[in-house]
Amino acid sequence: MAEKAILYDASKCTACRGCQVICKQWNGNDEIIPSPSSGDRVAVKSRGTYENPPDLAPDTWIKMKFTEAESSGKMRWLFTRRSCMHCTDAGCVRACPNGTLYHNEFGTVSYNKDTCIGCGYCIPACPFDVPRLKGNRITGIAKADKCTFCTTQGLDRIVEGMEPACVKTCPPGALAYGEREAMVVLGRQRVDLLKSRGVGGANLYGENELNGLHVLYVLEDSPGAYGLPVNPRVPGATIAWKDVIQPVGWAVGGLTILGLGMNWLVARANAKKEEK
Amino acid sequence: MTNHWGDIANSDVVMALGGNPAENHPAAFGHITIAKERGAKLISVDPRFTRTSSKADVYAPIRSGTDVAFVGGMIKYVLDDIEANPSNYNMVYITEYTNASYLVNTGFKGPAELEGLFSGYAGGLNETDGTKRKYDKATWAYQVDDKSIPKKDKTLQDANCVFQILKRQYARYTVDKVNAICGTPRDAFLEVCKTFAASGKTGKAGVILYAMGTTQHTNGAENIRAYSILQLLLANMGVAGGGIDAMRGESNVQGSTDFGLLFDSIPGYLGMFTDADTSRQKYLDRVTPKNNDPTSANWLQNYPKYITSLLKAWYGDAATKDNDFGFHYLPKIETGKNYSWISLFEAMAAGKIKGMMAWGQNPAVGGPSSNTERQALANLDWLVASDLWMTETMEFWKRPGVNPADIKTEVFVLPARASFEKEGSVTNSSRWMQWRYKAAEGPGEAEDDLWMINKIMLRLRELYAKDGGPNAEAITKTNWNYGDPPDVHKVAKEINGYDTTTGKQIDGFANLKDDGTTACGEWVYCGSYVEPDKEPNAPVPGNRASRRDLAPDAFNTGLYPKWAWSWPVNRRIIYNRASVDLNGEPWDKEHPVIKWNPTKGETGGWDGDVVDGNYPPIAVDPVKSRYPFIMTSEGVARLFAQGMADGPMPEFYEPWECPVSNQMSSQTSNPVAKVWRPDEQGKPDKYPIVATTYRVCEHWQAGQMTRNMPWLVELMPEPFVEMSNELAAEKGIANGDKVTIESTRGKVTMVAMVTGRFKPFQMNGRRVHEVGLLWHWGYSGLSTGDSANILTPHIGDANTMIPEYKAFLVDVKKA
Amino acid sequence: MTNQEVEKYRRPVRILHWVHSGAFVVLFLTGLVLFIPQLAFLAEDSWTRLIHRIGAAIFIIVPLLYLVINPKAAVRGVKMAFTWGIADMEWLRAAPRYYFLGDEKAMPPQGSLNSGQKMWWFLTIVCGVVFILTGLVMWFARTAAPAALLQWMIFLHAVVFIVAGAMFFLHLYLGVFHPLMTEAWKAMATGKISAEYAREHHGKWYEEVSKSKEQPAK
Repeated sequence: MAEKAILYDASKCTACRGCQVICKQWNGNDEIIPSPSSGDRVAVKSRGTYENPPDLAPDTWIKMKFTEAESSGKMRWLFTRRSCMHCTDAGCVRACPNGTLYHNEFGTVSYNKDTCIGCGYCIPACPFDVPRLKGNRITGIAKADKCTFCTTQGLDRIVEGMEPACVKTCPPGALAYGEREAMVVLGRQRVDLLKSRGVGGANLYGENELNGLHVLYVLEDSPGAYGLPVNPRVPGATIAWKDVIQPVGWAVGGLTILGLGMNWLVARANAKKEEK
Repeated sequence: MTNHWGDIANSDVVMALGGNPAENHPAAFGHITIAKERGAKLISVDPRFTRTSSKADVYAPIRSGTDVAFVGGMIKYVLDDIEANPSNYNMVYITEYTNASYLVNTGFKGPAELEGLFSGYAGGLNETDGTKRKYDKATWAYQVDDKSIPKKDKTLQDANCVFQILKRQYARYTVDKVNAICGTPRDAFLEVCKTFAASGKTGKAGVILYAMGTTQHTNGAENIRAYSILQLLLANMGVAGGGIDAMRGESNVQGSTDFGLLFDSIPGYLGMFTDADTSRQKYLDRVTPKNNDPTSANWLQNYPKYITSLLKAWYGDAATKDNDFGFHYLPKIETGKNYSWISLFEAMAAGKIKGMMAWGQNPAVGGPSSNTERQALANLDWLVASDLWMTETMEFWKRPGVNPADIKTEVFVLPARASFEKEGSVTNSSRWMQWRYKAAEGPGEAEDDLWMINKIMLRLRELYAKDGGPNAEAITKTNWNYGDPPDVHKVAKEINGYDTTTGKQIDGFANLKDDGTTACGEWVYCGSYVEPDKEPNAPVPGNRASRRDLAPDAFNTGLYPKWAWSWPVNRRIIYNRASVDLNGEPWDKEHPVIKWNPTKGETGGWDGDVVDGNYPPIAVDPVKSRYPFIMTSEGVARLFAQGMADGPMPEFYEPWECPVSNQMSSQTSNPVAKVWRPDEQGKPDKYPIVATTYRVCEHWQAGQMTRNMPWLVELMPEPFVEMSNELAAEKGIANGDKVTIESTRGKVTMVAMVTGRFKPFQMNGRRVHEVGLLWHWGYSGLSTGDSANILTPHIGDANTMIPEYKAFLVDVKKA
Repeated sequence: MTNQEVEKYRRPVRILHWVHSGAFVVLFLTGLVLFIPQLAFLAEDSWTRLIHRIGAAIFIIVPLLYLVINPKAAVRGVKMAFTWGIADMEWLRAAPRYYFLGDEKAMPPQGSLNSGQKMWWFLTIVCGVVFILTGLVMWFARTAAPAALLQWMIFLHAVVFIVAGAMFFLHLYLGVFHPLMTEAWKAMATGKISAEYAREHHGKWYEEVSKSKEQPAK
């Protein structure tokens, strides 16, 4: 199966946030409303910004980020999508101890909510600060959540041949979906077009980052201006965890048991010899 | 709009002025995005840097309520540029298709000569006497020859020709004046002028998109007039990618306006009947426009056909030639009396109105000066309100701060169905009548509007027949026969019209007659629902509104003529004969709307869109040809319009509440706007800050449909007031603080959104602050908050009486 | 005097040991799930995380309680773990021959804890502290701590898991299974060991104890 990708075009996005609503609606995620009964959820209130809810959350898999930038008297208002980037070299997949997070046949990162043990190792492992843990802080009973690329269990749009819900709803057509190769081509064309119209800083983000993201961004300025990591990397500790610690653990544990077994055999043999 | 949504993609320049499409018309913005893809420039003119501005190539700030000064400045720029570079403009269009060459009465004087007034004003400067706030328009008339045909000077040199009058009036609208009035930086203003004026070149097109930021002013109608003048000078009307596009706030606003939503019109934009119209003929004499120019089609001379067919639709067999087609059954309004929103609520406040039906309306949030209007509701004996959720209007009797026991109004709530829960048509801004089907049953006892009005009407007719009553025949004689439950197709077929003898559906209003042999509920919709054999392939055969065929038009200009049905007669761009030259060749070869085809038929014919007036081009057949703007009596578009209450050309006046004196003349505010409550006028000494109201993408109108939707409440949980960093610093306000905003009408508390996107206006060195408030909220529903309209004034536009929501004075304090 | 017994560990120490090691086993097994994906089904719905936290609470509270109840012994015990001398080096050199071949010629006489036990005790303290500190951050500062810190906490927790886990096997083996350590188990189970075993395995300590027989170490 060919790899799929979403192409987000910041030059077309008007931050209407239809994607935020449809994401919750399709995936059956609760809204966070300012009511006393909202329990452990964060109550929302206007914080003097268009951005709400305040951050990604177990129930909020996508959120638009608004950045005001003023330079030499010219105001700009930059909009960015904050959601899972579905990296090829995915920190969360590396960190996940039991394969709950995995790359599906489309190259995007799915997860099996049933097997999630709630360890939360995926959270600091993500260069984009995307996964969120919902659960009880004291007991540690928890589940991780993030954008599923609309492969949510029981609500899988991709397998049914549909585009992700956010792409489907986007009124200004800032989101496109298709085979990743085609999206890269489309993204490059958009960047070339923007450059030809005087947007010198236009660039395609995600083509090569982390060996290729499955959510590509057409940006009109450097990723940093949008609050995106300029050179995202899976943190060293995460690489160490899966690539070093787990094998070393196995090796050390195995060697220890092996050594002790040998010792037992030798020592017992000697003890018997002495008895004789 | 004169064109249609998809046509925006054909534009070379899109100017959003008095509207924020990315915010409030996100689907419409998709078309702008396509235009941008094709290389169009987007201009955003707005008091603050908006979501639309974020996508714009050019942004210019403007102080709320100063649009005429801004666009007047653009008109001056274009007039100057026409003189300097005439080849950059379509002079044939200006000379032949507008009234630029028409000569005006020599007694006419403009504001340049009369300190901001036009000749014929009944009062003096800044007159407040209600009876004197009007014009005698005798001097505004055209000069006519001995055959009563308007005189013209095609060289545009005559001092009394419209073009020269235009030049004289707008010579005063200099860049410096624009800066002093609007607070727009000179370079930003000039960039807007330069960018938009580029659409004046023959073959280029520019469109102006506007919304309530343009109309909701004491000179709202003149704002639109200013756009019209600009667009005519740039030859942008009737062409592909041109036009002045009203972005409607609701899916069926166009439809409701087409069907006589406003008090002064009946379905089809025909004039309302007054008590002076003692017979059908007297009515027709008053309303039917006359013109003696043989080259003017003066389409509305067909008035008798449309009004007679309408009477036949309403009263059926009870309307006969002998009883003047039932004209005397009709209820009529008092001559000269205003029945618009503010007038109605003033009458309600005065105890003159006893009952009200609020149908999908929430006046307690949406009306201006909410406290006044909420109090007025208590003077009603009964109130019927129909909506999807409980609204502030339904619950006005238990609103915070009142004792329910003190309010005697009996309130009836009719639970309504949403658009997905009923069948029928809606008409969008493109004038497309689109048929929709029922997708789900309504919840509980909810019923659709047609069901409700049918029940009420049938019961009323029964009661009037039994008990009689004043003017009972107006109701008992009606031809109301849609069944019970009603069949919406019967309504749609009656709207289209039928032959009263054969009962067959009529295909097009050209076939309507004034002898009672045709009936038609809305003449501009004639042709929408024809006999099944005339439109056999429609999903509902005969119902053209149900068509969903995406076949392109002949020139592939994006008309999609088989998608739904567009009034009139499926014409996608009205006044489309202005898109061709005198030989019938399109100005814009890339985006032709129509084109004269000499080989078509016996004498030639038009290809492309349904031509607006099937006459040959002027150069082809000067005798049979007619001017392209067939809906004006003179047949050409009006740079100079005598129909306006406040002047034939827009003159800048400050809003009723303004922070500065008028820099253009000594006439402060609109001299003909009716002042209801002079003592409620805020003055800048106490209320120095300009305020405006607007909406956000996440909520809709008075909010009952979105404030009850948790997903949307999450996105935008509370009302906010947007203000500049500079104002916030002056007032010691931090982002997210609670802030009190006060006007003479009341005060509200909202969250401060302090942003660099709002800047103080530097008006010729003087600094004026402005704040913007969201107006969606009220005291009912899941998300509640203060209503911004508590602050807005009870004053309206001189022509339309639309309230001045968009510019008033407040003071702001940290709560 | 072959049947004579000496008290090796007093009751509070034994309770501390067993409760703490019980908690450790629980923590170890519930943590092990992260290293063996095949066992992940045990962790579904986070039940092992709940058990891990209960274990962690005991793991933290019990030593603290001991510290409060018997601060002197606690301080002395901790000091012991950090007091290393030449004898310990000799012991480490001699240990392989001893543990494999039973050759105790080179073994210097040992105190209450032989150098091996001391090493284990040292690791218990160091790993315990690291476990607790990193665990507490992961438990309570998940949202507050910067991602990088959290990551290194996870990393360190895993490192000490491997170290402590491996050593735990050694400890278990020596205490229970090694053919020569016949009474180590008994010492912690009942508190007493035979005088002969004490003399052989903890000569130095046995001398001290014998001298002050009336006053066993507190």
